[in-house]
Amino acid sequence: MTSPSQRFVTFEIDGREVTAPEGAMLVDAAKYGDVEIPVFCYEPKLGQPVGACRMCLVEIEGMPKLQTACSTAVKDGMVVVTTSDKVKSAQNAVVEFLLVNHPLDCPVCDKGGECPLQDISFGWGAGRSRFIEPKRHFRKPIELSPLVAIDRERCILCYRCVRFSQEIAEDYQLVFLERGDHTYVGTHDGHPYVGPFSGNITELCPVGALTSTTYRFRARPWDIENAGTVCTLCPSQCNVELTTRDDNRVLRVMARDNTDVDDGWLCDKGRYGFQLFHSPDRITQPLVRDAGELRPVSWERAMDEAVRGLDRAGERAAALVGGGATNEEGFLVQFLMRSVLGSPHVDSRPGAALDREHALALSRPDLSAAVADLDSASAVLVIGAELVDEAPILDLRVRKAGRRLGVPLVVATSRPSSLDPNAAAVVRYAPGAEEALLGALAAELSGGGESHPRQGRAGRASLHEAAEQLGMRRPSGDSERARLAGAREEELRTAAEALRGERPVVIWSERLTHGERGNEAVAALLALARALALNTGDGGGMIGIPRGANGRGLREVGCAPNMGPGLGAVDQEGLPATALPAALGRSIEALLLFQADPLRTHPDRSAWERAVDDAGFVLAFSDFRNETVERSADVVLPAEAYAEKEGTVTHPDGRLQRLRQAVGRPDGVRAQTEVLLELVSRLSGTRFEAPPAQLTHLVMDAVPFYRGLTLDRIGGRGLRWQETDAAGRLPQAPLPDRELARPPEPPEGLRLGTGPSLWASVETDHAASLRFLAPRQEAQLSPEDAERLGVAPGDEVEVAVNGTGVRARAALRSNVPAGSVFLIEGTREDNANALTDGGPRTVEVRKA
Amino acid sequence: MTWSPSRDVIEVQRGPDPGGLGGAYRAFGETLRGLKTTFGRLVEGPVTLQYPEEKTPVYPRFRGRHRLHRFEDTGLEKCVGCSLCAAACPAECIRVVAAENTPEHQVSAGERYAAVYEINMTRCIFCGYCEMACPFDAITMGNDYELADYTRSDLIFTKEMLLADPVERTPLRREGE
Repeated sequence: MTSPSQRFVTFEIDGREVTAPEGAMLVDAAKYGDVEIPVFCYEPKLGQPVGACRMCLVEIEGMPKLQTACSTAVKDGMVVVTTSDKVKSAQNAVVEFLLVNHPLDCPVCDKGGECPLQDISFGWGAGRSRFIEPKRHFRKPIELSPLVAIDRERCILCYRCVRFSQEIAEDYQLVFLERGDHTYVGTHDGHPYVGPFSGNITELCPVGALTSTTYRFRARPWDIENAGTVCTLCPSQCNVELTTRDDNRVLRVMARDNTDVDDGWLCDKGRYGFQLFHSPDRITQPLVRDAGELRPVSWERAMDEAVRGLDRAGERAAALVGGGATNEEGFLVQFLMRSVLGSPHVDSRPGAALDREHALALSRPDLSAAVADLDSASAVLVIGAELVDEAPILDLRVRKAGRRLGVPLVVATSRPSSLDPNAAAVVRYAPGAEEALLGALAAELSGGGESHPRQGRAGRASLHEAAEQLGMRRPSGDSERARLAGAREEELRTAAEALRGERPVVIWSERLTHGERGNEAVAALLALARALALNTGDGGGMIGIPRGANGRGLREVGCAPNMGPGLGAVDQEGLPATALPAALGRSIEALLLFQADPLRTHPDRSAWERAVDDAGFVLAFSDFRNETVERSADVVLPAEAYAEKEGTVTHPDGRLQRLRQAVGRPDGVRAQTEVLLELVSRLSGTRFEAPPAQLTHLVMDAVPFYRGLTLDRIGGRGLRWQETDAAGRLPQAPLPDRELARPPEPPEGLRLGTGPSLWASVETDHAASLRFLAPRQEAQLSPEDAERLGVAPGDEVEVAVNGTGVRARAALRSNVPAGSVFLIEGTREDNANALTDGGPRTVEVRKA
Repeated sequence: MTWSPSRDVIEVQRGPDPGGLGGAYRAFGETLRGLKTTFGRLVEGPVTLQYPEEKTPVYPRFRGRHRLHRFEDTGLEKCVGCSLCAAACPAECIRVVAAENTPEHQVSAGERYAAVYEINMTRCIFCGYCEMACPFDAITMGNDYELADYTRSDLIFTKEMLLADPVERTPLRREGE
């Protein structure tokens, strides 16, 4: 997709002719002529400039007074001077003013050494101050939140953090309080500033006023090294820079600005989750179950046991690959299963298998959008995903598109979404009714329902005809589907209106494919893609958010029961993850869990509990003693953290990105690829050895549409395979043009919807600074249902289905549609997965 | 070019032949002159310092082993762990790991203190840049020069060692002495 072409203008700065893009602010335009104008408050990522700090004053010919270069757009023929005496005295004065109340406690301050205020005072300041009066004082340091410390004395009131809160995260928590020299930053109600993106303000702050508590006094810029890699804690796969000290410890995580992926923002899970790597609970040596207890053993012993267990099971082994695995690791696991053990059972998704035909259609380059396409989209549709929980950085990107770039946003979710206030249209549907909703939306888009294959019941159709004759609303064949989806027709209609455009981008959650009727839902999704004409011209595309961080990459390298590397056909189809519990202990003997924790992440927890108990042999690669490991693993091999890995991952938009090792592994932890290769070697009797780069080469060769990609070409910014020549090697798959099946009748009763939470994760459990965010199970109810059930807000309730119950605290939300109740998936205790089984569920809620 | 021997011939000047009064003076006179200095010094007594029992006094600005300081009144460490000494050090022999003071555990005067402060004396070149970089005069070059040890690891001086007074004071020479 092309962005509007840029025009260039020529202007003069400090006596040189410089060509810069039209409309650029002078600060940016000056860089084209290698002229640096000092700034504090200017940050293009934060939207419109505010001109708060006055540091960027320049002289412009024809203007009597100095102008702020950050908020003056460059014009053709402009003559700018940044070095005149007038400008210099202004710069000196501004620095002097900014330092009037600044404590100059650089030796203590965390920012010292990487502080723009230091640099600018040194470079543009006069070097002295006439100010001898007492400076203002605040209590310091105080916690703005458990993650961010604030020192108000150091603040120069540049507005950056406030603008971040107001315009980027849109949580509207941070504000300036008081006036004049009493102004200070705080939350308007005095509560801690807690939000999914709060950590970004520590990186934005140009002085040491906002510092992150985890990096507080840890190191100076000359003590550390920065290592670029990719965060694999969620599918957003943000580019990060890990600050390491002494090559063995990650001290902080900073954003590595990549407009094509993250726009330079990070969520707090990514920013503070690094503490996981150095958690004292981490498994750093192999464990073997001995008389019911997991005991540390030597690698030799553990590998012997692992080989024996897998060898005994042979083709009766199955593997689950967790989302944090790299493409190389995923490829090796499926190679181990398929080619060495002869077992087809490999899966990386928690749900049912995706039809190969559908997977191919979803991967079509013309149907896929890049993250950057969101900026120039005609409309953005979010289906079934709560982005802030599933891929937080995409949430910011959608907010940016919607608010700052004026892209209409359509939100179609069953649970009220945090994007609702930004949406041009919101569609609510019953939990689990994605199939019906997508069909209804597709039909609404392709001509308002005339071409819809199936009209409703005869009586309803004639009623519509009558209504039309009476000049009332046009008939809608979607009404039936809308009813099945539990959605309102007006909402569907406004949504469809907003979506009619050249380049819509659809963000959909792969969760909608996980259910029993997942493939019907995908068919409906593809029908929607066809209705939006995503496959013709350069119009928009789709981005599917997988459940695991590298879900897309793992599918493409062959971690699917019905697809080999490159989404290729396989001779024998394996069992998907949903069918494994029933087979474990019967037709499947051994289970390989590669950084997977099915008890926590997979639906139908009770079935999995039985299954892992029945499994003859469980080999787990795990970094923590999670429940699955404690309960069932016979051999546990320590897993690497992402900072220790070399390899590649694939972003949900098809961008291959490179993980690079930033720190050494703890003693006793081996590279997982090495361990997998040793397993392959010992089980096959042929020696396999490959250094990481060669392994990547092997994977790129095995996946036809990755072919030709090398680590060099992927580089530090990643490369979308759809944009390479190899994209043509993707097996052609037509968009299915079948009539959609009729969605099933919705069950009667209170319907259960579950969704992940950003904080219901391993990172929150093991990163000390994040622990306070670990969510308690919460049942979100509509006030109507609550009244009917006699539940008051804050009550302990039990949400039960067929006798299995989950305890939760009742939360009443006026925007929850009546008839639905929502729980959080993946919590450490009271996990909602105990109640789900892939199909729509109705539950009972009663006071506990 | 052909070699002509005449160019390399050097005229050697010889003294008078040995013997006679001149010969006797040369043999004993000069020796006695030298012995005069020797015996002249003999009465001054020995100047050898019986090191290590006796030590050479050093000038006050002599750059010896570093010392960290405390405030005399409060007993708090002057060092706040800012790491500027480590940044200034050309030999990269200083390692600082800072930590935060708490009301219960107040180590230095500021918010921050040096939890680890190590100087690797095997690497230090005693240039004194650390002293110059220090914004709090927390580190100064002391006068002690007896730094030899048996193992390298013993030469990594920790904060406690640097804060403590040296076991033996190095004698100081007065300025102008």
